[in-house]
Amino acid sequence: MIRTSDLIEALVTDARPVRRLRAPVQRAALWLLLPALIFGLLALGHGVRPDLAQRLGQPDFIVGTAASMLTGVLAALASLMLNLPDRSRHWALLPVPALLVWMATLGHGCLVNWVDIGPDGVQLDETARCFGTVLMTSLPLALAMFAMLRRGSLLSAGTVALTGSLAVAAMSATAMSIFHSLDATVMILVWNLGTAALIVAMGSWLGHR
Amino acid sequence: MSNTRDRIPTLRLVPHAEWGALHAQGEDERSVDAPAAVREVDWSILMARAQVGEREAYRRLLDEITPYLRSLAVNSHRDPNDVEDTVQDVLLTVHAIRHTYDPARPFGPWLVAIAHRRIVDRLRRQGRARQHETPLEPEHETLAATGANYPETSVDSTAVRTAVERLPPGQREAIKLMKLQEMSLRQASAASGMSIAALKVATHRGLKTLRKLLTGSSTEA
Repeated sequence: MIRTSDLIEALVTDARPVRRLRAPVQRAALWLLLPALIFGLLALGHGVRPDLAQRLGQPDFIVGTAASMLTGVLAALASLMLNLPDRSRHWALLPVPALLVWMATLGHGCLVNWVDIGPDGVQLDETARCFGTVLMTSLPLALAMFAMLRRGSLLSAGTVALTGSLAVAAMSATAMSIFHSLDATVMILVWNLGTAALIVAMGSWLGHR
Repeated sequence: MSNTRDRIPTLRLVPHAEWGALHAQGEDERSVDAPAAVREVDWSILMARAQVGEREAYRRLLDEITPYLRSLAVNSHRDPNDVEDTVQDVLLTVHAIRHTYDPARPFGPWLVAIAHRRIVDRLRRQGRARQHETPLEPEHETLAATGANYPETSVDSTAVRTAVERLPPGQREAIKLMKLQEMSLRQASAASGMSIAALKVATHRGLKTLRKLLTGSSTEA
């Protein structure tokens, strides 16, 4: 075992100047620029869903979309807060109320839709474009989020990964509800949170070695 | 989700030795009435300087937090090696994520959160290791059968020898030659003048008598 005084010497020798992490709110704002950008690009390139004006008249659509967007914002903030060692673990609960509201507006309608879509209910090109949107939002958002989280502390990696993925999933779902008539929320959630759960499970499994 | 934050102890005063060093550095005005708070402010300043690459400040910070970390680790680990390993884990983590410290916030909670995490990590790792290990203790150094663990009763040679002496002469001779001196039948026959058949019978009877004399079936020389 190396002596502690030797270790300190080694660390001091290695003490290059470091760039301090920005405040979590600033980092969250920075990350949120990306979904804003993607939404803008999608609106230009793809156009909003044809029935958006009509849907905006429906309170459950407005509440659901607002709640999913709010979930994304709060989950991103929570994740970046947990990314610092000295912040309370309770930050993980921040997105929960918005998430509950969002889930409540989904109700069973989305499940019924999901079943309705079935094997032949939807044309292939619509589904393909829809997957494209999910990929276009999820992938860059997830990559950006994890790149940012890696900069911070991963002392509580599990909660950080879960809240981070929730933020990505919520933003992707928001994009879906604005740009597609197809309700893929459940798929997006399962996809993103499933990946996060897999990463966490693998981490703890490897940690057990 | 863990609520480790709730159990984090408040930053405590680390006694004497480092205290002198703290005074010697004469860095800014500090009140002796609130040493823990002063110490924390000091550490905060030292870390802020370390973040911009001041090696001296960093060395002093690490030197000063080490005894404090050791005092935290001692609460959870008994083995001095574990304590030192934990301290080194924490120092390495502090080094790796020193950019996450915000000098506008108190240094104590930041450090204690890292220390706590590392202490818990090591305890968990030990717990897992212990599940796969059986400690070698004095009772494991003997055999499972109880008889094997009492050599004084199983090989009580004096008892055997006195029993042999109490045998009838023919049997005694046969046992001595055949069993104690481990001669072959032919050698024993030549040495004693007894026929091979007589030797066989005498040995057989001798063993039987011995068994009776020693009141146990386990002792056979």
